[in-house]
This record gives sequence, structure tokens and C-alpha cells, in this order.
Amino acid sequence: MPLPLAFNEELFIQLLVNGVTLGSLYGLIALGYSMVYGILKLLNFAHGDVYMIGAFVGYGVLTLLGGPLSPNIAIAPLIVLMFLAAMLACGLLGVVIERFAYRPLRDAPRIAPLISALGVSFFLQNSALLLFGAQFRSYDSFVLGSKNPEFFEPGPLTDPVFVVKHVNIQLIQVIVLATTAGLMVALTVLVAKTQTGKAMRATSYDREAAAMMGIDTDRVIASTFFIGSLLAGAAGVMFGLLFSQVFHFMGFLAGLKGFTAAVVGGIGSIPGAMLGGLVVGLAESFAAGYLGGRWSDLTVFGILILVLLIRPSGLLGTRAIQKV
Amino acid sequence: MPEKEPLFELRDVTKTFGGLTVADRLNLHVDEGEIVSLIGPNGAGKTTVFNLVTGLYRPDSGEILFEGRNIVGLAPHRITQLGIARTFQTLRLFLNMTVKENVMAAAYGHTRSTVFEAIFRLPRARREEREISQLADEKLAFFGQRLAGYRHQQQAYNLSYANRRRLEIARAMATNPRLLLLDEPAAGMNPAETLELTELIGRLRSEGGYTVFVIEHDMHVVEGISDRVVALDHGVKIAEGSYEQVATDPRVIEAYLGLQGAA
Amino acid sequence: MNTGGDIPEVPGRPDEREPTRVGVDEWVASVEDRREHGRGITALARRIDAVVPPWARLAVFAGIAATLPFWMDRGELFAYGIFTLIYILLGLGLNIVVGYAGLLDLGYVAFFGFGAYFYALLSSEHYGIHWPSAISIPIVVVSTALLGLVLGAPSRRLLGDYLAIVTLFFGQAFVVFVNAANPTVHGQGLTGGPNGIADIDPNDLFGYDLTTRRQQYYFILGVVVLVLIGLYFLSESRTGRAWRALREDPLAAEAMSIPVNRLKLMAFAFGAGIAGLAGCMFAAVLTAVTSGNFALPILITIYAVVILGGIGSLTGVVIGAVVINVSFQFLAPENPQTSARILFYAVIVLLLVAGVRPWWRLGVVLGGTVVFGFVAHAIAGAISASWTDGVVVEGGRLTGAISDWVIIPAGHEHFANAAYITLVVAILTLTRIHGWWRTVLLPPTLYLASIVWETSFVENPAVARWILFGALLVFLMTVRPQGLLGTPRVEIV
Repeated sequence: MPLPLAFNEELFIQLLVNGVTLGSLYGLIALGYSMVYGILKLLNFAHGDVYMIGAFVGYGVLTLLGGPLSPNIAIAPLIVLMFLAAMLACGLLGVVIERFAYRPLRDAPRIAPLISALGVSFFLQNSALLLFGAQFRSYDSFVLGSKNPEFFEPGPLTDPVFVVKHVNIQLIQVIVLATTAGLMVALTVLVAKTQTGKAMRATSYDREAAAMMGIDTDRVIASTFFIGSLLAGAAGVMFGLLFSQVFHFMGFLAGLKGFTAAVVGGIGSIPGAMLGGLVVGLAESFAAGYLGGRWSDLTVFGILILVLLIRPSGLLGTRAIQKV
Repeated sequence: MPEKEPLFELRDVTKTFGGLTVADRLNLHVDEGEIVSLIGPNGAGKTTVFNLVTGLYRPDSGEILFEGRNIVGLAPHRITQLGIARTFQTLRLFLNMTVKENVMAAAYGHTRSTVFEAIFRLPRARREEREISQLADEKLAFFGQRLAGYRHQQQAYNLSYANRRRLEIARAMATNPRLLLLDEPAAGMNPAETLELTELIGRLRSEGGYTVFVIEHDMHVVEGISDRVVALDHGVKIAEGSYEQVATDPRVIEAYLGLQGAA
Repeated sequence: MNTGGDIPEVPGRPDEREPTRVGVDEWVASVEDRREHGRGITALARRIDAVVPPWARLAVFAGIAATLPFWMDRGELFAYGIFTLIYILLGLGLNIVVGYAGLLDLGYVAFFGFGAYFYALLSSEHYGIHWPSAISIPIVVVSTALLGLVLGAPSRRLLGDYLAIVTLFFGQAFVVFVNAANPTVHGQGLTGGPNGIADIDPNDLFGYDLTTRRQQYYFILGVVVLVLIGLYFLSESRTGRAWRALREDPLAAEAMSIPVNRLKLMAFAFGAGIAGLAGCMFAAVLTAVTSGNFALPILITIYAVVILGGIGSLTGVVIGAVVINVSFQFLAPENPQTSARILFYAVIVLLLVAGVRPWWRLGVVLGGTVVFGFVAHAIAGAISASWTDGVVVEGGRLTGAISDWVIIPAGHEHFANAAYITLVVAILTLTRIHGWWRTVLLPPTLYLASIVWETSFVENPAVARWILFGALLVFLMTVRPQGLLGTPRVEIV
């Protein structure tokens, strides 16, 4: 894309909207990283690949129910079904991963679960490659629900809901933002108000002490993985709906960016993850718009390094006191 | 008070964590060749003093002088190189290294050979390697049979609790310090081992020539070794003097037992 | 000073008559000793490992390696010899960072790539520069090490995990840069984009070009031996000890006069430098480099090399590289031939005989597998004929029995792939469970293994290999984190 000579308001707003949508997606991924890191001090490399699996599950549901060109049911329940299936499948996958790859390593040297996580990530990625092949699979969401899909007539998902300065904000973007907001609120309530949430906070503060207070920490950790992976699954379906293409390698970069978002916001903090997601999403969108697509990844990398150098605890994080 | 300059001195040192003051305008000194004990109830800030001295924490205000030089703000390894070595209450040995390697590793600060000298086995690297090995043997021999012979080649995690405490001391000695900070060296030891340790601390001064500053809970040890005792409570120095003076000081008794005890 | 000569008396024990044994040094030591020297093949290997002196190991390795060109053809020497050596080199570098200093460097493969590309720029047709190896290799190694320093600098303030993600991101950024960014310098793309750089000069020994595989092999072997010697000396020096100390406990290391940050950077730079060195050889041997050579799969492979042999052990790296690379080349699928099939089933039965106790449980497992097979075959056949219509590869007496036993579908896409992945998951699961569950799960797993073997049309062998490596990392970490030769490591007691 050429560098605009004059300030182009339309382009700016378009990039802003794209950035916010992308950011909410990264925010959802970041939440999973952040929660797991908060509770286990473990960097779950496999998280990005769980997100990828989520996207494929959504695709699978779509295909099973007739595919994007001729869905057997109405599109609203179809999308709801896709989300639910992906979230459930990913949640369970997260629990299984925790059970087999991380739980045996609770008291191992710190590097061991990281390597194990790397192994899981690689395993998932290549399993998807073997099962689904290297080609891109398309949600074809822009024709979803269209009356004449064979003529590529756009469906309702691309309908403009708002128009700001000639920039259309499509239904699909509104759905993504609303779903993200809903999940965020639900998560905040869960962590702040419920028994499970209290147990989670206690466990992340001090696992041993929590165990002595009668909290089943293994279970708490499993549910943390369940919730975090569930959010990643939702993000996977969102990606499919927004960008229409899923492939086996999509989890790797998205995982890196989700982690960057978690670090930028302050790892362990829920609002921080969302804020970090927005920062990363906007940075990527503007870099792609003004500098060209190939620079967007490098820009995000630069942000990560910068934050780590200047404020390693992140925007909303607190610095822990090291006990000797 | 001291006619000559003390070896080591804290001047008005204050440290807070959030709202909690863990050291409140603390003044302390240790003279060359002394054995000084630091006592106080749990949470009195004893280990914090060690952490401040060794550079793990940075004081909010005040000076820490060693041989007349302010060491505030120096990196921990620099402070150790200057001649202050410590042990850890929680035992932080290099568990997956052999006993001898643990001691040899601590000689890093006073050896100089570079990576390239090591790779090509140049003369200085070879000489230093021999010296370190000898130094480690020497320091371990200080503990008699306890850390002798076959134990040199054992992994540190194979050692019993008491031997780990001894190895911590040997490791600290290998940094060639003038001042040794021992953090609860008798914790977890049985009576016989405690007795042995009391004697050992005396030998650290008489044979090793170290000045010793020790945190200890076991009053028999404190009585047996101390030239001088300093009592802390809530980061404040509440008493200082000989063991008898401090042990009978009403404020110390109050700090340990609460008000009823003093009454 | 006290020397070993006059050891003071240990004071008498209060419980002298009936001394307690538990908790006493000797008792603790003897128990640990017994636990450490267990039984079995790995324990034997470890005991041998403990006895053989380092120079003898090096002699054995170099001696065997030197004979390779005499009984291998050019292709084999390339695939088995040269590649193994390059993996050894890569493993040795990573071993410094991960094994000695305990830093998780996931951008390691980018240093390898940087070295290869830089060598390619200095000695190829790309810019028409043809510097001799005696100049270009040192320059490349030093600049890769410097790059390591620059990247390691943020790690001064980072926890280990942050370092991992920064380096992982860096590795990705390197691929993006090489592939997509490809800035134009002197009228052409610096890195050649997706096409990479071709026509790279071979290494030369003071002007004499090493063009044959045999020459290249001996050259790299020489380099590997020199690096091994240097690293052995380094690991037994103050620096090596300091690295291990900071891996064990950075805070205690710092308190013991070790400048932790500087040593971390040093380890990082050293590892990077060796990766750069490996890059030079790699580029010269391949005569072309593309970004695909330096992506995630290679990183995983190098990690597998280091971990399999035992983190922190030089011998372990060599053994890991040999095992990984040789099995890598073996895993290329060919249709099962008669002898291979018998071999396959024989190996399974032998493994079972060695691993399953007591003997009646072995009987249950074997019988269960056979019965399970016939039942599954019958059910699958009843559902749809297409599930059992596949053709069994002819060969030997087993053919008839197998066609009635193993499900071989006709025309079910991806069936073998799915079976393969399920098999890997099942084996991973088996390593985590014990007792009756294991006995119950063994027959279906064995049956699955037969299906995978008989169908044997996993479509993409490279991917199948990588799946196995991913599972291998998880397996090693959860079951045997110390690798084949390492002793179990203890973190906090």
C-alpha cells in the first residue's frame, strides 16, 4: 500500500475499526495465556494451537451442517452452534493437555514444562497439517446466509450496521465485539464473585497454601485451562468468520501476538490482557495500513521488546517482591 | 565505643515494602575479628538486614559501609567480591552440582582466567584451576569428616540437612571473605550437631580469621559464640551488648514473650 | 589453615548407644546412591557413562566417525554423516544455552540461519564476493555471537519465560525478514526472498576447495572434534561451573560472587556463535539456503537432540544427534515388505515380553490384542464393506491372517493419518497410566499400531516425523526429563 500523502480520514477509521476487532481477538487469546501464567507461572506455548483447533472445529461444524453455500439451518443458530462447539472442544482439549503434558511436571525444573509445551504445540500443529492438509480452508463467511451464494452475492454478515464517515462497520465485526465484551464480563464476574474464581485467585497467589486451605488445586488449575482454552476456541471461530480462512499454522503467530498482548497489558491481569490485545491489534492494523503488511509482525515484535525493556510488568501489572 | 574504624557498619538504614517498614533507621557495626549475633522474634527483620548488606535489596535511605566504603547500590556479586559472603536460611545450594563443585563455583569472584584461556587450556587457566581445587579441599577440610572423602564427588542433594548447612558455610568461605554472614546456621540441627556448630563458629574466627555476623534463634548457640548481641524487633534495634545484658533486657523479653512476660 | 591432616574429633552423640539411622548423613547417602543406580538398560548405560573417561569417549566417537566414508556411498554419507555432524554442532551450541546456563532460547535456529545467510553473502555469486573460509567463517561466527549479545540484552531484565517468548518471536521475525522483507541492497534483494541464495562456495582449507562429500565430511568432523574438546575444557572451567551454578539458583550464584547477567549474555553469545559456525558448514555443503531451512521444525529437532541425550552432557548431545538423525532418515516410509513385517511384529512382541510383568498379564495383553482385532474387524465389516476392503500387501504366511484381522479401509480419506495421530496420543497416554488401566489399554493400542503399519500410507512422512518429535518432547519431559544419560535432577527439596 502506498504511503498516503495527505491524511486520509477514511483509511484511518477503517484501520481503527480493523485494529479494534483484531485486538479483541488477541485479547481473548491473551486472557488464556494470562490466566494460566498467573496460576502456574507457565508459558503455555500450545495455547495458540488450541486457538487454531478452535477455528477448525468451527469449520467442521459449518461443513457438517451443509457448508457455507447451502447451510441446512438458519445462520444465527449456525453461528451460535459453531461458537459453542469450538469453545467446548477447546476447553476439553485444554484440560487434556494440562492433564498429560503439564500436571506430571508440577514440581519439575522450570524449563521442563516449557519444553513440554513446545512439544504439545508442535504436535497439534502437525497433527492439523496431517489431517487437514496444508491448504487454506475457507469459512466463506461473506456469502453465509446469502440468497445467491453461487453468484458470490454478499450475505447478511457483511451488512453495514453503522456507517462512520463512509466506513462501513459490518455485522460480523459487531458480533465479534459484542461476543468479546460478553465473554469479558462473564469472566470478570466469574473470577470476582464465584467460589471457583476465589479458588483461582487463592491458587495463583500461593498454590501450597491454597491446597492446605482445602482447595483442590488440581481441579482449579484444570478449570483455568478449561476457561482459557474456551476463550481461545471462541477467538478461533471469530478469526474464521472475520478473515474466512483457517490453516494449520495460524496458531503460531496468533499465539505470539496473544502473548505479546498479555505482556503489554501486564501478565496475570484480566483487563490488562484486553488492553494489551487492543494495543497489539491497533499496532498491527496501522503498521499494515501505513507501512505495508510485511512490517506488521515486526512491529508487534518491536512493541514486545520495548515493553519488556521499559516496563517489564506491563501497563496494568504490578511488580512482585522477590522473597529471599 | 570503637576507637578504630569498624569493619562493617550500617548507618541510619531504612527500608520499606509498601507500607511495611522492615528496617527503621538501623545503626549497627561489626568490628574486625568480632563475632556478633543478631537476634529477634520472627519477622523482626533479621534476614532483611542480610539482604540489604549483600545488595539483594537496596535501602531507601542510609549508608552501609564496609572497610569504610559505602557499598549501597553495588551489585550483589561486587559486594561479595569486596569480602562479604553469606549463607541462606532457606538453603540455596547448587543442588545438582557436586559438593566440591559447589565450593569451587564460589571462587569465581577472585579468579581471572578468560573463556579463551579456558578453552585452550592456557597456563593461567590451568594454574587457577589447580588453586581452586586446592582451595575447595581446604575449605571442606574445615568441617572434618563431615564433608570429607567420597562426599566431594556427591551431588549436593544427596547431603543430609546438617551437611547442607555446612556446605553453605564452606561455599561462602570459598569467596575469600573477611566478613561471614551466617543466617540461622543451626536451624534444623540436632543437639549434638548444634554443639559441633557452636565450636565451629569459634574456629571460623580463630583458625579461619573471619569476622562473623550471625542470625541465630538457638540461645545456647548465641550464648556460646557471641562477643556482642544485637536484638531487633519490627526493624528497630531494641537492645545491644553482651549476651547477659541483652538476654535480661526487659524490652527483649517483651518482644519475645509479649507484655505479660515482662510484667 | 586447616588441612586434611589434622581432622578434629566429632563430638560424641547423645544417642550413642542406639544411634538413629534415619536422617544421618551416611544413611541418606546410601539411600540416594541406591536410588540413583537403578537397574535396567539405562542404568547400565549411565554406569558405563560414568566410568569411561572423556578422552576415551572422544577417541571412540572420532574413530567410528572416521570410518564412515569407507562403507557409505555419497548419498548416505551426506544424509547420515554430514547431517548428523551438523546436528551435533547445533546441539552443542544449544546445550551451552539450555543445558549449562538454563536459558530457554527458542530463537536458536535463527542464529543458525543468520550464520548460513551471512556466509552465503560473503562467499557466493549473489554479490560476487568470494572470500576464503579462513576469513569468512571467523567473521560469521563473531557476528552471530554479537547478534546473540544484542538479543540477549533484554534477557538481563527478563525472567526465563519472557526470554523464551522473545527469542521465539525473534526466530519468527528472522524468517519473515528473510522471506518477505528482503530489503534491496546494491540493486538486488539482500536475502533473495523465498528463493534464497544459491551457488554458495564450498568451504576451503587455505585455498583448497572442499568439493567432494568425503572432504566436506572430514572437514566438519574435524571442526566437531575441536569444538567438543574446547567445550569440554570450558565446562570444567570457572565459567562452566558458574553457568551451571546460575542454572541451579541465579540468586545464590549472584551472592557467591558470580556476575549472573554477564554470564547469561556470554552463554547466549557462545551458543549463537556455534550456531553461526554450523550455519557456515550447512550453507557450504548445501550450496543454497532458503528460509525454510531455519523454521520451527529444525528448532524442535535440535531441542530433541539435546534433550534426548540428557541436557548438559556433551556425550548426550552426540548420542542424541546420532539417534535423532538416523531415525529421521529411517522413518521414510516404504511399503512393508515381508521381512520388515515380521520384524515389526517381532519387535512389538519382544518389547512386550521385556516390559510387561508378570507373565500372565503378558498373556492377557497378547490374547486380548488378537481377540480385539477380530472383533473390531467384524464390527467394521458389518457397518460397511468399504472399511475392510483395502488390499493387504502380499507377503509371507501372515498375509491371510492379517487381511481378516486388521481393518484396512478402501477409499476412506485420511484414515491412516487419523489412526497415526490416535496412535501417538494413545502411546503418550499409556506412559502416564499404570496398573490395570494400562493392561486394558494396551491391546487397542497395539492393534492401532498394526493398522498404522499395515495401511502405511501416512500421506506426509515429514509431518508424521514432526508429530513424533513433538510427542517425544512431551514424553521425555514428563517421563524422563533427564534424557538417556542424565541423572535425575532435583530442584527444591
